[in-house]
Amino acid sequence: MAATELKKKAQKRKISEEETEVPSAFPLDVGLDMRSEDEADEQEADDDDDGQTDEFPVLDPGSDSEEDDEVGENAEESEATDEDEVESDDEDEEDESEISTDDDELHIFPKPKTIVSDITGQPKRVYPEIEPDYDSDSSTEDTPNRVGNIPMHWYDDLPHVGYDIDGKKVLRPARGDELDKFLETVEDPTSWTTAFDKKAQMNKPLTAEELDLIRRLQENEVPDADYDPYEPTIEWFTGKGKEEVMPLSAAPEPKRRWVPSKWEKQKVMKIVRAIRQGRIVPNKPKTTASQLQFYSVWNEEPSAHPAPLPAPKPRLPTNAESYNPPEEYLPTEEERKQWEETDKEDRERDFLPQKYKALRLVPAYDQFIQERFSRQLDLYLAPRVQRVKLQIDPSSLIPKLPSPSSLKPFPIYKALQVLHNGYRVRSTSVSPDGAWVVTGDESGAVRLWEVMVGKEVKRWKFPTKIGAVEWCPRTDVSFFVVGLEEHLHFLIPPNLSTAILAATQALLSPATLPPQPTTPSLVKWVSQTAAASSVDSPILTLNLPPSSGVTKQITWHRKGDYLSSVSGSESQGAVWIHQLSRRHSQAPFRKVKGSIQLVLFHPTKPHFFVATQRYVRLYNLAEQKLLKTLIPGIRWISSMDVHPSGDHLIVGGYDRKLCWFDLELSEKPYKILRYHTRALRSLHFHPTYPLFASCSDDGSVQIFHARVYNDLMTNPLIVPLKILRGHQVKDGLGVLQVKWCPRQPWLISAGADGEVAVWCSANTELPSRSEASNMM
Amino acid sequence: MASTSASPSEISHPVVFTTQTPYPLPSQKFMIPTSWRRYQLSQLVNRALSLPSPIPFDFLVHGEILRGTLTEWCAEKGIGEEEMLEIEYFESVMPPQKMSDLPHEDWVSSVSCALPGHFLTASYDGHLRVFNYSQKLLYTSAVHMAPITSICVIPSSSSASSPTLLASASHDLTARLSTLSCPSDSPDSSVQVQVIASLHLHTASISSVSANSVGSHLLTSSWDDLIGLWDTSVPTTDEVPPEDVDRKKRRKVDEQASRPKRKAPLSVLKSHTARVSRAIFGTSEEAYSCGFDSTIRSWDVENGVCTNTITASAKPFLDLALTQSRTVLAASTDRTVSQYDLRASTASATTPSTATLRHSATPSCIVVPSTSNSSVDTSSEHQLLTGAYDGIVRLWDLRSVKSAVTSFKAWEGTEKTGKKVLSIDWARGIVGVGGEGGVEVWRLGQGGRAIPS
Repeated sequence: MAATELKKKAQKRKISEEETEVPSAFPLDVGLDMRSEDEADEQEADDDDDGQTDEFPVLDPGSDSEEDDEVGENAEESEATDEDEVESDDEDEEDESEISTDDDELHIFPKPKTIVSDITGQPKRVYPEIEPDYDSDSSTEDTPNRVGNIPMHWYDDLPHVGYDIDGKKVLRPARGDELDKFLETVEDPTSWTTAFDKKAQMNKPLTAEELDLIRRLQENEVPDADYDPYEPTIEWFTGKGKEEVMPLSAAPEPKRRWVPSKWEKQKVMKIVRAIRQGRIVPNKPKTTASQLQFYSVWNEEPSAHPAPLPAPKPRLPTNAESYNPPEEYLPTEEERKQWEETDKEDRERDFLPQKYKALRLVPAYDQFIQERFSRQLDLYLAPRVQRVKLQIDPSSLIPKLPSPSSLKPFPIYKALQVLHNGYRVRSTSVSPDGAWVVTGDESGAVRLWEVMVGKEVKRWKFPTKIGAVEWCPRTDVSFFVVGLEEHLHFLIPPNLSTAILAATQALLSPATLPPQPTTPSLVKWVSQTAAASSVDSPILTLNLPPSSGVTKQITWHRKGDYLSSVSGSESQGAVWIHQLSRRHSQAPFRKVKGSIQLVLFHPTKPHFFVATQRYVRLYNLAEQKLLKTLIPGIRWISSMDVHPSGDHLIVGGYDRKLCWFDLELSEKPYKILRYHTRALRSLHFHPTYPLFASCSDDGSVQIFHARVYNDLMTNPLIVPLKILRGHQVKDGLGVLQVKWCPRQPWLISAGADGEVAVWCSANTELPSRSEASNMM
Repeated sequence: MASTSASPSEISHPVVFTTQTPYPLPSQKFMIPTSWRRYQLSQLVNRALSLPSPIPFDFLVHGEILRGTLTEWCAEKGIGEEEMLEIEYFESVMPPQKMSDLPHEDWVSSVSCALPGHFLTASYDGHLRVFNYSQKLLYTSAVHMAPITSICVIPSSSSASSPTLLASASHDLTARLSTLSCPSDSPDSSVQVQVIASLHLHTASISSVSANSVGSHLLTSSWDDLIGLWDTSVPTTDEVPPEDVDRKKRRKVDEQASRPKRKAPLSVLKSHTARVSRAIFGTSEEAYSCGFDSTIRSWDVENGVCTNTITASAKPFLDLALTQSRTVLAASTDRTVSQYDLRASTASATTPSTATLRHSATPSCIVVPSTSNSSVDTSSEHQLLTGAYDGIVRLWDLRSVKSAVTSFKAWEGTEKTGKKVLSIDWARGIVGVGGEGGVEVWRLGQGGRAIPS
């Protein structure tokens, strides 16, 4: 039986080698499996299937023929010469064996066994155990572990390494330590042929085939042991008896097969003729133009242009776009109104959500034509009217200024006025203690009056009109200077205390005159003796050189020792600096560019401001050099005053402009104010309050708040506070001079209408409602 | 009886009338139509009392003078219709009547009615003038060589026959004490003014002089920030040496016995930082002063220290008056007369005023009726007169400070702007107004003849 089986197997292998593609790597395994399988089958068959043999007696000789095969083979060996017979025999044998194998392999579905159940006593069919190894994809594997191709470290923490086909745990094999491994390598000579099997988690010996495969791979041989690269060729169509002797067609050979072609000759001759005539140049050198131009597609410089933008994705419709939106999406009345009021370009969305009960109630799209039209315009790239949107809040453009009411006190109302019989009052001055005002009008009268009462206490009369009056800023002496044509008169007010009077007299007409300067000045100092002097006549008179004109301005140095006078006509100005202690006058400028309008002493430094018609120059008197030229941009400068700190200068002009200069900053004005409607006449900084005033020919006086910070980074704050109206414009002249009271926020303004007004501060609180009703 | 006069459709208000005048109504409830004004109420009182000649009355509701209708008043105060109103009434101030005009050549800086039967005026020409009530100029003399700023009659406790002491302050840095002898039995021409002493302290113009109620002390305020305290006794010799030698020589030459003695102050009150415009006595120990430094200071005269300072913001004060209710009234250049409570603490930087009287021009002088005749009418303790630079003299009632009770314009119709009032005095219902146009005498106050209301 075993022998027949082996034979059968050998035959079967032959067939499988020829016809089926058996994986060649593990032929022995297959054989082993098959053997066991066959054994089982045949045992079963032998044991149980007697009936089958009975049922198929015809086929039995097939199985018997197996036994005869020996004979046949033997006969084959003996009768090797008779090929055809042998072949036919072989074929028969093959057929038979195929049938027999078919007979075996037909049992794909295992046959059930019918046994009598112990429990019920009934016969039942019992199927054999499924052998999934067979015919399955993983049939070549003999590993019981069926977890598949997974990372085995998943089982690292578990006692088993996987599951077998029945779902039972495959326990982790015991693994020896390193010493065991070493001993194994030493003791077991075959241990080098083992490899670690991941699935089984243990070393498995490699089979002979695997070792052979490794060897082949190492020696670069064909890995398949069964493949013979040097197989002898099988001559299928050549060789003896296989040559073709009969023609395929019996047609005679055509003439053209052997006669040269006339047409070809004509063609060739045409070319030959052309070559001879030179029309065709053979071996013509290839021009560059004729050569094919190749270029590298990828060598081009990348384009500098940005990639075209993808079209924006249209926004997905939301609930608001629905024909039946939820209630909260519907606009309220105010929203609807607001939507209708806003411009089309400003609308957040171009539609208003509307609610329809059903889709069939939705009307036609009313914007259809408009939308198509605008889409057309888009396609044409048609320009539209671009509406310039000004999103600027106008109130934000206005500089943030504090409210005037927070900057009190400043003069608000006219407390009193002193009349000068209608003569123009060109000049006024307030005593340094703020109690007395002296005014000079064009009739030649100089009046002294109290600030707060306005009562004229003393009057002096001079023959010509008064150009300027100015109090001496010193407090230990008390006198003022009156500037007339070619004369400066020094007057002492009445009712002085004896100490002050004596000091003033000693200053203005000293008992011992100081030594005369080496170069006599053009200005003559004439003083009366203290005993002979009275309040009615000037105690000291400075006689300016003849024809020097009316004294336009007198200005004192802060310490009261120097005073400067500007005299002359409109176009010519002569500046004199007089020193009281030395009783000496000098002209600081030998030659002056332009006509000098005004001069000013710097309050802290030995600097001297000189205003010509258009420029203000700053000289250093100690070093005798020009420091700075300020360019106010005014056609004709009329007035100028310097801030008590000395760092800021305001300049007013006949062309209505008022320029504020920060002397540290620039030669250009920091700010230009044009608030007056007519020419500016006078400016004055308050000595202590952060105020300055300007007056103009429009008959108004304007009060400004001017706060100057010690911090160099902060710009001065200029706030217009109040316009004081009350002076009459007479002959085109309005207010001619303004002066502040030194200690109070009171302003003295002298007008061309012969009125000098005192303006006082006040709290103009409105009466409350309850008070107002009570007033009825 | 009043409710019968009102038509039934009108809303009425329960009212109880009280008064301190000699015209009391029976204390019963009246139903007054709320549309009534002062005029109707006054008529009601007159009819109810059936006075022989009608007397106008003013009405105080809860201490405030009724200016509109009762409805308006109740709506403003939020008082319901059923609430009982207590209305006090007093005789109205008669419209002021101009009595006489005392012309002056120069401005009059000060006027005094303190002397019965006479007006004393001080002018900017340095002259002191005495008029009697019949406008007759009794005496004139140049007391000062410079403008006089203030005069004050020093009350004396002695008999009326003795000469009255006068104090005058001037721009010439001195104040002077003079005697005014006007024997009541002799004819008016015998009025004589004799300068007996000059007060030497100040180095600037003296702005005011005032005496205390018993006439023992004087206060002078000056532009040099000082206040001088003086007694009124005349020294026998010069307390202050003459200033310059020249005059001494000259004096030795003519050697007059009647030459005014030079007097030194008892003490100097020094605390103001700017010109002092007015210094007055309160009681004998207390004095008050105001100045251009926007402060009102209380002084302990005995020790010469400032005890209290009321600081206003930017209010240079021009004049000061003390009311009987321990408040002080001060006129400032910001066109207000402010009332300050003297008991207010000085903790805050600026003291709020308790009442503010608004003027349309700078108020230059304040006068409250002198305490002597206030015992007669209690209503006058709330009254004051102010004179302003627009020439208008206003009578105010402190119970109703929204607007003046009445006003009159001195030197009417002379000019558009008006002439400045520089001084007023008010005594015995007679107001003397001095200023730019001289002096005018007006009659103002209760007790005049009744005017039909």
